[in-house]
Amino acid sequence: MKPDGKMNIADENLIRLNGIAKHYEMGSTLVRALDGISVEIQRGDWVSFIGSSGSGKSTFLNILGCLDRPTRGEYFLNGVYVEELGPNQLAEIRNREIGFIFQSFNLLPRATALGNVMQPLVYRRIGYRRRREMAREALDRVGLGDRVDHLPNQLSGGQRQRVAIARGLVTQPSILLADEPTGNLDSRTSADIMQLFDQLHSEGQTLILVTHEEDVAGLGDRVIELLDGKIIRDRRAGEPLH
Amino acid sequence: MFYVILESTRSALISILAHGLRSFLTTLGIVIGVASVIAVISLTQGMSAFIGESFSSLGSNSLTIQSHTPISEAMRGGRARLTPEDLELIERRAEGVASITPILYASRSSQVRYAAQTTFSQIMGTTYAYRDVAQAWVQTGRFIAESDNLTRRRVTVIGKKVREDLGLPENPVNEYVELGGEWFKIIGLLEAKGDVMGFDQDDIVLVPYSTMRSLAGNQSQIDIQIQLSLSEGVEVDDVTRQLTALLRNAHDLAPDEDDDFRINTAEQLMETFDTIINMVTLVIGGIVSISLLVGGIGIMNIMLVSVTERTREIGICKAIGAKRHHILAQFLIEAMLLSLLGGLIGLGLGYGLGTAISSSIDSFPPASIPIWAIALALGFSGFVGVLFGILPAAKAANLDPIDALRYE
Repeated sequence: MKPDGKMNIADENLIRLNGIAKHYEMGSTLVRALDGISVEIQRGDWVSFIGSSGSGKSTFLNILGCLDRPTRGEYFLNGVYVEELGPNQLAEIRNREIGFIFQSFNLLPRATALGNVMQPLVYRRIGYRRRREMAREALDRVGLGDRVDHLPNQLSGGQRQRVAIARGLVTQPSILLADEPTGNLDSRTSADIMQLFDQLHSEGQTLILVTHEEDVAGLGDRVIELLDGKIIRDRRAGEPLH
Repeated sequence: MFYVILESTRSALISILAHGLRSFLTTLGIVIGVASVIAVISLTQGMSAFIGESFSSLGSNSLTIQSHTPISEAMRGGRARLTPEDLELIERRAEGVASITPILYASRSSQVRYAAQTTFSQIMGTTYAYRDVAQAWVQTGRFIAESDNLTRRRVTVIGKKVREDLGLPENPVNEYVELGGEWFKIIGLLEAKGDVMGFDQDDIVLVPYSTMRSLAGNQSQIDIQIQLSLSEGVEVDDVTRQLTALLRNAHDLAPDEDDDFRINTAEQLMETFDTIINMVTLVIGGIVSISLLVGGIGIMNIMLVSVTERTREIGICKAIGAKRHHILAQFLIEAMLLSLLGGLIGLGLGYGLGTAISSSIDSFPPASIPIWAIALALGFSGFVGVLFGILPAAKAANLDPIDALRYE
């Protein structure tokens, strides 16, 4: 079933956010986690969102990843107006458009590398054999073709993150959405993972990274800085900070 | 839908196997519940089958007519009787009767004596037709003949039990026993028939009907039983209706009066026993199935723990595209599989238990499980799994993906 969203005519932007706000009630105080964010992201871009803790990064990521809905504002993802979708339609959007990569990998502990990568395809009603094939291809792509039958606890941190990336890629999503992808990795492994991102980017994959590390953010085309739920700076990579 | 069920079953099996010991302990309640239900059912059903066989040895298409005093009549001091005239009437008028015989029970003493040995037995006066009606065959000697009745001969045919009790020789023919103070010559020994529900069919002494009547003295008001067997292809109900009409007429009963006799068929008796056994099965089964509910609660408990444990996994699955029904199906099917697994193990265990019990007790009929009991046990355990799986599964399916992902 195709989600029932409004088509945004003549929009080459993959993502268009317009005045996105997210407010929480916390006790008697109103927390403005996001306060009017407008941003456009093109297909094939590598965009990093950077901010310290409490800047609204996580909330922003949840909204971008269709895990949460904003209190206010418009969100178009690949031409679909996400706002009015129900939980099941959001689940379908997540499955089709987004590949998630988490700081703590978030693999299913009882499933092998292959099983983990196959999992999103289950929700697409793809048969077992075809799933296996697709998952193997994805694992090959991240350089883990020889580790398919290992359980997550038999893999190193870097390998686990590669499995997670393969899981994100296997559905051929519009966006790969990474949340502090190197946060739990040592610097060498981090460099490997970032190199993998670079490779994927060069193959045309749209990447969105959320991080607090300046050097990780700096590897993308574009760095957007958040503070107190607002965008305070939006620059091309390589431009000076000040 | 089939795809979802297939995939959920796959992941449920992985999860059940991953926690082998826990899964086994969880399902133990169901195992015990189903095992006891099946053990009880297999025993009672085995008994029922055994009783069925025993009754067919009683003569499958025979009828017994007995006098029956309605309570209202008994209060007025009345006492219903079946008389030799009734017998004659039926002999003359009833259709579809193959053979018919009166039975007159010894009215005073049922003491039987041989030399110094004394025993008490069922002494019945009857005719040669009893052999066909009651399927009583002679092992040695001969049965009561018509001439025995005509001449009121003092002869008797005895059952195996009586011979043993009295210490009579292996072939007791031509020995004399004392019945109610008179000496009778033994002319035949009956084939052993075994017992039916505690009534030993070999503990009988048969004498000619007319001899018995003369022994009873000139009691003018004797009360006999009439046994008859039906001709091939005759409906029991038709004959029963006919006999009822005949006897009511003969006994001058007004239309609003109750019958003062009862017509029993072996089948009726069997049905009565069947009803009793089914009732017992139902009651014990009902009590035991409470343990199935307890088992179901155990499953629910563990499934709730399991949902909490796997909150993060559920969050991951939702993030990568699992819809509500995917999660729901996964946990529901896991609960149902656990329960069904318990049901299967319990089925085997219960049958083993029933067989063990029935074979360890002498003279107990072998256990047997009817198909419906298997279907019921599996159906019920599956149902229990679904019933008690709904709450945990719904809890899992309703988790918010963000909260679930954040869960430590």
